[in-house]
Amino acid sequence: MSAIEKISEVKKILDVKGISKRFGGVQAVSTLSFHLNQGEILGLLGPNGAGKTTAFNMIAGALRSDTGEILFEGRSLANLKPWDICRLGIARTFQLSKPFGGLTVLENVMVGSFVRTAAEKEARAEAQKVVDFLEMGGKAHTDADDLTAFDRRKLELGRALATKPRLLLMDEVVAGATPNEAGEMVHLVRKVRDLGITILIVEHVMKVIMGLSDRVIVLDYGKLIADGPPKEVVRQPDVLKAYFGERYVDARA
Amino acid sequence: MRHTLTLLLGGPLLVLALAIPLFVTDSYILHSIAMVLFFAYMASSWNFVCGYVGQLSLGHSAFAGVAGYVTVLLFTQLGVTPWLGMLAGGAFAALLSVPVGYATFRLKGPYFTLTTIAFAEILRIWLENTDDFLGIPLKGAQGLTVPPVGGSSFLAFQFDGKVPYYYIILAMLVGVMAATALMERSRLGFYLKAIRGDRDGAEALGVDPTRYSLTALAISAFLTGLGGAYYAQLFRYINPERNMGIDLSIDMAIMTIVGGQGTILGPTLGALLLHPIGEMVRATIGGSFLGLHLILYGLMLILAVIYFPKGIIVPLQRLLDGRARKSASRKAAAKTDALEGKGQ
Repeated sequence: MSAIEKISEVKKILDVKGISKRFGGVQAVSTLSFHLNQGEILGLLGPNGAGKTTAFNMIAGALRSDTGEILFEGRSLANLKPWDICRLGIARTFQLSKPFGGLTVLENVMVGSFVRTAAEKEARAEAQKVVDFLEMGGKAHTDADDLTAFDRRKLELGRALATKPRLLLMDEVVAGATPNEAGEMVHLVRKVRDLGITILIVEHVMKVIMGLSDRVIVLDYGKLIADGPPKEVVRQPDVLKAYFGERYVDARA
Repeated sequence: MRHTLTLLLGGPLLVLALAIPLFVTDSYILHSIAMVLFFAYMASSWNFVCGYVGQLSLGHSAFAGVAGYVTVLLFTQLGVTPWLGMLAGGAFAALLSVPVGYATFRLKGPYFTLTTIAFAEILRIWLENTDDFLGIPLKGAQGLTVPPVGGSSFLAFQFDGKVPYYYIILAMLVGVMAATALMERSRLGFYLKAIRGDRDGAEALGVDPTRYSLTALAISAFLTGLGGAYYAQLFRYINPERNMGIDLSIDMAIMTIVGGQGTILGPTLGALLLHPIGEMVRATIGGSFLGLHLILYGLMLILAVIYFPKGIIVPLQRLLDGRARKSASRKAAAKTDALEGKGQ
């Protein structure tokens, strides 16, 4: 192994090696390999049904991979349950935000804080810091059920941050958001990265992913078809074909 | 605010409950009030897990029954005081709950409920048809009687009047409510509510749903077991139908749902509302219309689900919130007036 390879090995926080998932007759993800470097924002792109969420769920432990392995900071995630993976330092958000009903915003975030402490006082103080970070201090004691859809997304991010992750998996964080809200979320995601947290983000909105990601990978029919800087990747014929069809690519040629 | 409500309502109720034996001398009435407290206790024990996790168990009476049997058998066979027997019975119920919970908490909704019914019914039917198990005399459907020691004996948990039994169950009810309040503020309480709200979301935040649900179930089974042992001592008799029949489980569930699941005071409110209705119906027209009280329970449940799906505690909460707001605004207005007065 060369010196350069050794350095890049050290920087890897997540190493996905040949994972696959089949549901009956559908091969959702096929021997997918990629890695995430420490402190990086990696965008995971692909048209509907490309296998993004399946890959995402395999990393988060919600689905078990049929083949390959996933290493987090060099440790295999094989056979670990979602709660074990969270304790290791990987947090996730969901496409559909469902707050814990009957709990306030602060109490929702406290559920995340409790993974690092059993003391209620400490969990409350940590959760308050997260709520302030999200600029939701004014809504800390609002019942989470009464939040707007966008605030629910922010709350979901807050709950994940309260677990003090080193890697954050974000699933379509601006889905259904207004342009202003999307801008606010982009600002928040950057603030999260500035905390030193590595981020893997699945997103459909190109503008968001292009502005946020240091690097993007593209999936199509469960296979990796591109990996590189956002501006380069979106010009690649395979990516254009996956998104717009073969005719579009032929017409451009 | 939730705890304010508990204090505002629970405080006066406790004072009233403590004073009742001072002016209620009729032993039937005192016994009936003790039974309200008993059902409030049992419903609160059920609520400890089911109300917070949001699963409907209709098999909790099994925990009451086995703990009752353990208490009575330890006393009759080995001469162990029922106070220790209660703890042993509760611990036995808690142990029994772990394999049951491990198998059933993987199920959701009606599957969970059906499995809990099956568990309790299998146990009840087995007990009804077993006279002797490994040399332990269970006496099948006939049940076991607690031999009287003659007069009052604290150690034997036998008293001449109803007053000691009344205060014991009152203390147990205060205990279970305090345990619930402590649980609500702990990691366990937050985790149970998270599991109820969104199981997948909770898992992603480091919550192992089976582990925490089982912990709560074991505590709930222990508490329910203490109640079952108390019931056996109160009547000095235990049999499978009476002490572990599905009726008892249904009572616990309906009282909690009507009163307010996942709250400290809800199950007690449910018992305060429903048990007297059931008792009055049984005492007046129960003889000619057997089971009428269950029809009334069903009606109350339907009305509660339609109008107060989160329990009758919710309108009470709103009422108190409204009063608190009015009082706060009155105080604020008085303060402003006073300041304006000073200014002039």
